[in-house]
Amino acid sequence: MTAHQPLRARLSPAPGSARLPAARALTAAAGATLAAGGFVHAQLYLDGYRYLHVVGMLFLVQAAASFGLAVLLLAGTFLRPPALVHVAAAGTALGALAGFAASRTVGVFGFTEHGLQPAPQALVSIVAEAATVLALLAAAYVTVRRARAGTSGPPSLP
Amino acid sequence: MTNPMTRRQFARHTGWFGAAVVLSVAGGEVVSHIADTRDSITAAATADTNTLRFVQVSDSHIGFTGPANTDVTASFTQAVDQVNSLGFRPDFVLHTGDLTHLSAPGQFDQVKQMMSGLRTDRVFTVPGEHDSVDDHGRAYRRAFAQATGGDGWYSFDTHGVHFIALVNTLSLEKLGHLGTEQIDFVRRDVAGLSSDTPIVVFSHIPLFAMYPQWGWSTDDALQVLNLLKRFSSVTALNGHVHQLFSRVEGNVTFHSATTTAYPLPGPGRAPAPTPQVLPARQLHTALGIRTVTYRQGTTALAITDQELA
Repeated sequence: MTAHQPLRARLSPAPGSARLPAARALTAAAGATLAAGGFVHAQLYLDGYRYLHVVGMLFLVQAAASFGLAVLLLAGTFLRPPALVHVAAAGTALGALAGFAASRTVGVFGFTEHGLQPAPQALVSIVAEAATVLALLAAAYVTVRRARAGTSGPPSLP
Repeated sequence: MTNPMTRRQFARHTGWFGAAVVLSVAGGEVVSHIADTRDSITAAATADTNTLRFVQVSDSHIGFTGPANTDVTASFTQAVDQVNSLGFRPDFVLHTGDLTHLSAPGQFDQVKQMMSGLRTDRVFTVPGEHDSVDDHGRAYRRAFAQATGGDGWYSFDTHGVHFIALVNTLSLEKLGHLGTEQIDFVRRDVAGLSSDTPIVVFSHIPLFAMYPQWGWSTDDALQVLNLLKRFSSVTALNGHVHQLFSRVEGNVTFHSATTTAYPLPGPGRAPAPTPQVLPARQLHTALGIRTVTYRQGTTALAITDQELA
């Protein structure tokens, strides 16, 4: 190791070019699917869910957070965002899935729906959010496996 | 021991966090702005003719007095206000029975006047057993069903959906009952319909065996359901049980609605289906309204239930 390497590491701690293409592709896919889920929530919000007590606001928050985090994940294809961005994105998708399940069972603030209605938004939303979680998990797995196999030091998330 | 975060790492994390917040707020602002724009456009434009949206309310029990709800009139007023605040004008409002508690003329007048405050073009009703106390439904029919056939059953079409209103509370012993005349009406009514016509059938007492021990079923409903077997989409809406419940049997999806008056126990969870007293300020969580949406060209109806806010 040369004397310049630690300094370079500090100045450029996470160059995107050093990441696996698979991890980058999975992160980009997660960004796209998260945006799709957010779009569905925004559409339902505009279609009338905004008038639902509490739940309307939750739809808006979910859509807004999804859009914001999707942009960061897509930007993370070239830059390397901290793991917290991936965790937040996965949490947003999981939260929407949990809300979907609750609305079909115990209800969410008195709001209840049935089955895969409204169609096709309900199905598109759960597919998009499940895909987001799976893509982020796969990206993390690919990155951690590579770090364990070939490099020293702690692995960083994709 | 972990290494402390360097200043550069901290700045990087802060930057990403700030970007997340800014982008999320910006996204939320954009969506809210579109919603505001839509509101102003919708206020001036006509309704979407391809989408049917109606509201179901049930079991208002106007005239009820008891600790389970000391002011059912206020609760029903709240339900009417909530319907009027949905953000869209429903194509119609459906009341699935037990409009009144004791079928008194004054109670019918009161509920009719209250429902006239609904911002909708039409109101459809079916009677509950509380609407036909001692008079076989005559007072109900005078108030709500003068133009209907038989004992108050009827059908109508809108947005490509065929609606059938059934009366299963007039020959009530333990279970709901439709009777031969009404079943013949349904047979004739659906005879000319194409099998891909979405059907919505509504009644007060469930057409499925939700809990027959408490009378939560209709003894001859199977004959009607057999007539509807050939249709690809059948949705059955009912009241009576004062709680949300759904079941799918073959091509029929049954949806029991909650009440605007007072809750009843879950099936078999009490010795009898008597009004339940909830802790203070929790009553509204058991009461609610239902929105039903149908887009022409699709087969299923989207059902959304919400408690009284």
